Amino acid sequence: MNTRGPRQLLSEVQQAGLCVGCGSCVELCPYFRSHGGKTVMLHDCDLSEGRCHAWCPKTELDLESLAQALWGEAYAPAGVGPCLSVAAAQAGPALGEGVYQGGGVVSALAAAALELGMVDGVVLTGGEALEPTPIVARNLAEIKACTGSKFAAAPTLAALNRTQAAGGERLGVVATPCQGAALAQRGLKPVNQEAPTNPADLVLGLFCNWALDPRGLAAFLASRVELKRIRSMDIPPPPAGVLVVRTDHETLEIPLDEIRGLVPPGCAICPDMTSEWADLSVGMFEGRPGWNTLIVRSEKGRDLAEAALERGWLVLEEMPKSNWEHLDGAAQGKRLRGLRAANQQGLLGTADDPEPKALRVGAQLMAQIEKATGEEA
Amino acid sequence: MSNLDMTPGQRHTVMGNQAICRGALEAGVRVVAGYPGTPSSEIIENLARAADEYGLYVEWSVNEKVSLEVAAAGSLAGMRSLCAMKQNGVNVASDFLLHLAGSGVRAGMVLVHCDDPGALSSVNEGESRHFARMLELPQLEPGDFQEAKDMTKWAFELSEELGQVVMLRSVTRLSHASGGVVAGPLPQGEAKARFEHHGTLLDTNRGPVSSAPVSVKHARQQEKLARAVELFEQSPFNTYQGPEEPELLVITSSICQLYVKEALAMLDAAGRVGVLKLGTTWPLPPKLIQKNLQRCGRIMVVEEVIPFLEENLKILAAEMAAEVGPKEFLAKREGYIPSTGELNPDLVAEALARALDIQYQPRPAEYAALAQAAAPSTDSPRELAFCPGCPHRASFWSLKNALALDGRDGFICGDIGCYAMGARPSNYGILKTLHAMGSGTGLASGFGQLGRFGMDQPVMAVSGDSTFYHAVIPALINAVHQRSPMSLVVLDNSGTAMTGFQPHPGTQNNAMGQPVPPVDLEAVCRTLGAEVTVCDPFDLEATREAALKMLADQSKAKVLILRQLCALSPERKGKKLYDVQVDPDKCLGGQCGCNRFCTRAFGCPGLTWERETGRASIDEVICAGCGVCASVCPAGAITKTERG
Repeated sequence: MNTRGPRQLLSEVQQAGLCVGCGSCVELCPYFRSHGGKTVMLHDCDLSEGRCHAWCPKTELDLESLAQALWGEAYAPAGVGPCLSVAAAQAGPALGEGVYQGGGVVSALAAAALELGMVDGVVLTGGEALEPTPIVARNLAEIKACTGSKFAAAPTLAALNRTQAAGGERLGVVATPCQGAALAQRGLKPVNQEAPTNPADLVLGLFCNWALDPRGLAAFLASRVELKRIRSMDIPPPPAGVLVVRTDHETLEIPLDEIRGLVPPGCAICPDMTSEWADLSVGMFEGRPGWNTLIVRSEKGRDLAEAALERGWLVLEEMPKSNWEHLDGAAQGKRLRGLRAANQQGLLGTADDPEPKALRVGAQLMAQIEKATGEEA
Repeated sequence: MSNLDMTPGQRHTVMGNQAICRGALEAGVRVVAGYPGTPSSEIIENLARAADEYGLYVEWSVNEKVSLEVAAAGSLAGMRSLCAMKQNGVNVASDFLLHLAGSGVRAGMVLVHCDDPGALSSVNEGESRHFARMLELPQLEPGDFQEAKDMTKWAFELSEELGQVVMLRSVTRLSHASGGVVAGPLPQGEAKARFEHHGTLLDTNRGPVSSAPVSVKHARQQEKLARAVELFEQSPFNTYQGPEEPELLVITSSICQLYVKEALAMLDAAGRVGVLKLGTTWPLPPKLIQKNLQRCGRIMVVEEVIPFLEENLKILAAEMAAEVGPKEFLAKREGYIPSTGELNPDLVAEALARALDIQYQPRPAEYAALAQAAAPSTDSPRELAFCPGCPHRASFWSLKNALALDGRDGFICGDIGCYAMGARPSNYGILKTLHAMGSGTGLASGFGQLGRFGMDQPVMAVSGDSTFYHAVIPALINAVHQRSPMSLVVLDNSGTAMTGFQPHPGTQNNAMGQPVPPVDLEAVCRTLGAEVTVCDPFDLEATREAALKMLADQSKAKVLILRQLCALSPERKGKKLYDVQVDPDKCLGGQCGCNRFCTRAFGCPGLTWERETGRASIDEVICAGCGVCASVCPAGAITKTERG
């Protein structure tokens, strides 16, 4: 777990094509900014160690150390990661009317966390479908303005960095797995100054298979629809296999195979489908439109879920075993795919490998993961 | 009072360019025009200041070609006229010059062109004497300050006698150095301008003026040159000094003749070497040359940059080989004299020592050691950076950010002005091409068309306000008309800043200080059909966003005008907009999150890095108070307070 500087971040991540534009390095300093889904270094910085490198989810992500630091337990070789409970969930009446992706559980949890005073604001991804921009929502209306999946990588953590720099606020973050990993790295790797030991006060994780390069997606869609008229985008659960793009006057179904080339290469080495480093994780619920899967991981997460249920922000139902097994298998599939891809590209190392690595997993754990996947299959 | 006021018969110490002005006044010049360009600018400036007192019309024209046309109009209406420009200005003016050479002039007209060997203030060391040969015009080259004055005066007489423009060449070391000049009397009497045009086309003094009919006019032009040769044979500006039969004949002209004199003194070789100093360098007077070539068999030609005299002399030597015998030349083609850069006495002495087989070391080793010991060891090499408070730094900072954010490896085509320093690493190395006036926009217009061949880099051009009027307008018209997806950024600092704030068509006063209607830059661009945005470059965020928007629009040519007064402009100089301070408690210094961002990345010389405290501070003496660094500081440690 070596921390290096911004120049190395540039060569190991941006120039290597691994950057997923999560925003972890953006606005920590004046050097890194995000524009149009791309993270760029505006000016040269010659520090030998920087938070940009230390916290990037595509450098030195040591799964075992991270699990020990965050959960106080070993990294689980199978399943969906730390889990106190799992349930089918839907937003409760407290959230009110609105257009939500799935069951509206993310919005409901964010609103509940605000109401309960767990956080002063929640960092969300707002903006247009093709121009996702991070915002800090401090009330229900602001949360509702951000509903809807974006499918394009968003520099959400930039808003966290910007707001934290101003100081004083407790913030929750709605995070993709890469963003969750970036937040987890913060507790682990203090750099050059007093470390923020509490990098975010609440992490609401999102399930994620991959994101799309916003510029590439915009260029791709521009040849089919008038970009200004796009109102929403959605990827319905399998076996649909399409990206649904709704405009003012038409609905377009684009086979996923046609857009897979727009997935940033950094997504291919991601071993995390269910946002394992979050307090709670939320995803689609297969086969039941209007519902979400909710995984409660931490005690803080459990407190929020319970209070949300009590106050009418959430409706929970037991999750059928078949769904549970299917989710487990899907999560394990991505874990193994990501680690194998990283290994093939020379980006996977063990804890004591002196070379710079994107991901680190001990040989023993890797064998356990391989074995567990075999059993699943 | 003008600095051209001198007492006839008395010696004054004046700059070369001043001497040229005084010569023009003594010749009774009336109409003067030019475009600023180092080392020529002081000629128009001094005459402009003297305009009232001496009854002149003086203008800074929009470009060199127009200035030549304005001066020619004076001559054609019977007014002695002078036009001044730097070496590459002659390129700009050359199209008209070709035709004017064909038509001829009436009252004396002199084109003063100041070359810059060594490119001390240029991005070229173009040699403008070749235009004299190419366009068949007489060429004069003063060799010292007195000659600068005297030859200028004579150039008007020569011009009138020939009915032809006369080219008079100076170089940086003559234009900008000072020396003794004995002034002559000023002419008395009023002049009345009138353009006679009722005669026939062939009537030089009363007919319409044109280079046609070419068959007649071209022949006449060559007759004028033949007459010039006759006069040059007798010219007192061509002198020989040295033994009757020297070992070596040096032929030289211009300020190089002083280097030769000095080198011969250094080598104590004046008794062995003859020096033919030529003041009339084109066409060469063959009888004079023949007489001098006969003095010895070895000829050294001392001149700067490319071999103009050398080649012309070699042609003559070949033609008169039967009379003068074979000659051994020791010049550029033989490797004695360099073909690039300025000459100096040391370089000439080295060449002479080699030719004369003298042991000579231009800088003795002990002197070099002493000099090194005497030099303060703390001196560090200094990069050329923009001045504190320079709007160009702020502009380029925002353009750099916009190009980086855009992320398509876009680039900027540079142009001529202070902002050309944007090509240097100390100014973000942001300009990727740099050529002639207006060429940045023309290049960008071309680059913009290459998307059809797969080039996906966006292209911008920058231009100063003076450069915009000079040569950018046609290129912008081209870009608009061809729908080239390029962006022109006009860095409008409201004056011809680089050469000393000469007025231009966008300013409210002319060269003589009279109020004139400014030509509205923004309206010009809009009228041409370009989408125009105007921003204050000190507003970094607005400028960056405007630039980003322009980069994103790949459908047409756009213009961004970044308007802010030059920090050295007479209106701004010495007046701080803000008091700027650094709060050392907030300054992050070298920590992650800053890493000396203001001093290391932004790099304004008004900011200082305090090694002892590890904090930035403001150098109160240097800071121009623009306040831009307050927007740059990531920690809000730099604050600006508006001055009352």
